[in-house]
Amino acid sequence: MNAFKVLTKKEFLQMLRDNKVIWLPLVFILLGMTQPVVTYYLPSIVKALAGGQGIMVDPNLTALNGGEVLASTLASQFDQLGLMILVISMMGMIQADKADGMLSFILTRPVTASSYIAGKVTSHFLMAATSVAIGYVASTIYANYLFTDVPFSRMIPALFLYLVWVLFIVTFTAMISTIFHGQGVIALISIVFLIGCRITVGLSPILDIINSASLSKHAMTLLITGTISSNIVINLLVTLFWIVLILYVTNYWIANKKFKHV
Amino acid sequence: MKLEIRNVTKAFNGKVAVDNFSMDVEAGSCVGLIGPNGAGKSSLIKVISNVIDSDGGEVLLDGQIISKMKKRIGYLPQYPNFYDWMTATETLSFMGRLSGLLKQDESRTIPGILAKVGLRGEEDSKVGTFSGGMKQRLGIAQALLHNPSLIVMDEPVSALDPIGRREVLNLIGEIKKETTILLSTHILGDAEEICERFAIMKNGRKIEDATISNLLNRNVKNKLCVRITAKDQKWIAIVKNLPYVKEVEVIGSEVIIQVENIDENKTQVLKNALEHGVDIIKFEMKNDSLEDIFLKLVVMK
Repeated sequence: MNAFKVLTKKEFLQMLRDNKVIWLPLVFILLGMTQPVVTYYLPSIVKALAGGQGIMVDPNLTALNGGEVLASTLASQFDQLGLMILVISMMGMIQADKADGMLSFILTRPVTASSYIAGKVTSHFLMAATSVAIGYVASTIYANYLFTDVPFSRMIPALFLYLVWVLFIVTFTAMISTIFHGQGVIALISIVFLIGCRITVGLSPILDIINSASLSKHAMTLLITGTISSNIVINLLVTLFWIVLILYVTNYWIANKKFKHV
Repeated sequence: MKLEIRNVTKAFNGKVAVDNFSMDVEAGSCVGLIGPNGAGKSSLIKVISNVIDSDGGEVLLDGQIISKMKKRIGYLPQYPNFYDWMTATETLSFMGRLSGLLKQDESRTIPGILAKVGLRGEEDSKVGTFSGGMKQRLGIAQALLHNPSLIVMDEPVSALDPIGRREVLNLIGEIKKETTILLSTHILGDAEEICERFAIMKNGRKIEDATISNLLNRNVKNKLCVRITAKDQKWIAIVKNLPYVKEVEVIGSEVIIQVENIDENKTQVLKNALEHGVDIIKFEMKNDSLEDIFLKLVVMK
């Protein structure tokens, strides 16, 4: 427990020194703002740029409500550029310690592999979750202002569903960072797999059950329609299972010293 | 405190690095693990400090398996790497807390340790700005911090320049008064200076394990070395006929005389030389140096 606290504190100190505590939330605020602002001004933008050629946004299009805009923030911003930035910001979380020998060094102290991993995952998840939540709130404020109000009762549960998907992203990246050596390979594998998960949501109902990215879809549905599918419980349980399995593999890898030593 | 290394074997991809190595280290001793590059010293040190698991055998500290005794061990890797963005104090606090040092003891212990390793005034400097010698000393501070009963060091001085080496050697000489030390090195002079006992390794095996005086005495060859001037060459023939002289070898102006019993015969040879009016430039007992012994052991065996 003591080692876990010391390691978690060290991660936060490092994020502070790296200014990650500033830039990561800023990135998500920007991503969160983009969707409502661009959606709102799209007709004027199109008109200004291409109005002379007769191109315009269909004026009969039904006006979007705030919930729909917030849902598209998750789908078009957070699950794409946001996910890539998250992965890239975390790809070295364990790989860097392996590469400079700090992991081996730390493990010569009375520190268990599980407290090391717990420290990494907890700190990086809290950082990612805070950034996503701040960006999400920023997006909500703009959606409320430019479109209709998003009901609190939809916005908060949707955020929680989305954060479970973020936890999956963090643990998965941690595992890949443990197993592979090169930062490029880690980023590539994580991004391709996680975006692959997100793209395949909706293709097949069976696949959706075991796909953790469905949680992002559930969050969107909740924001748009205000209803939650009954599959959500199964989805949450399956995601929990994946997270436990991923942590187990990561722990196995480190505890049995399968990583490359310097 | 007693460290027992029992039949440790370790192979990397089929290549044997440590081969059935056994050794006991008593409390208070300073043991040097010496051997040529690639002898398996680092691998053995890594098994002892539990960085890697051995394929066979075990390492016990006070009868307990080493992975459960990490608190009692201080470890200095060959290239101690710390987080560049941490200050010296933060680094020690981080490593110390992981080793079980209590928070309330930190403020008392850390400044003292930093002063001891000669890093006073660098408390709040970033580790990234440190030279190799300073990092090595910080590494030693880190290994000492939690008062371990055994300190394991992997090539503590090999990568340092002469000044850094001197600093670190003096420091080790200082701390060996208080703790048990096991260190590896391929520089004989360093080992000779700080260790009382050597384990010599070659191809993963222990080929010799002895104290320095034991090692030197064992290699006394009952030889005398006399340097004489050219005009006295005829004395060599006289010496050859002495009853207690077994063999005479002439190398330039030096005469190497092997006798039956060095203690009794050396005065007799000297007397004989004086009686014949030999002009002696040098008269000494010839012992193999540690380097001769090392070379003999490593190259011959």
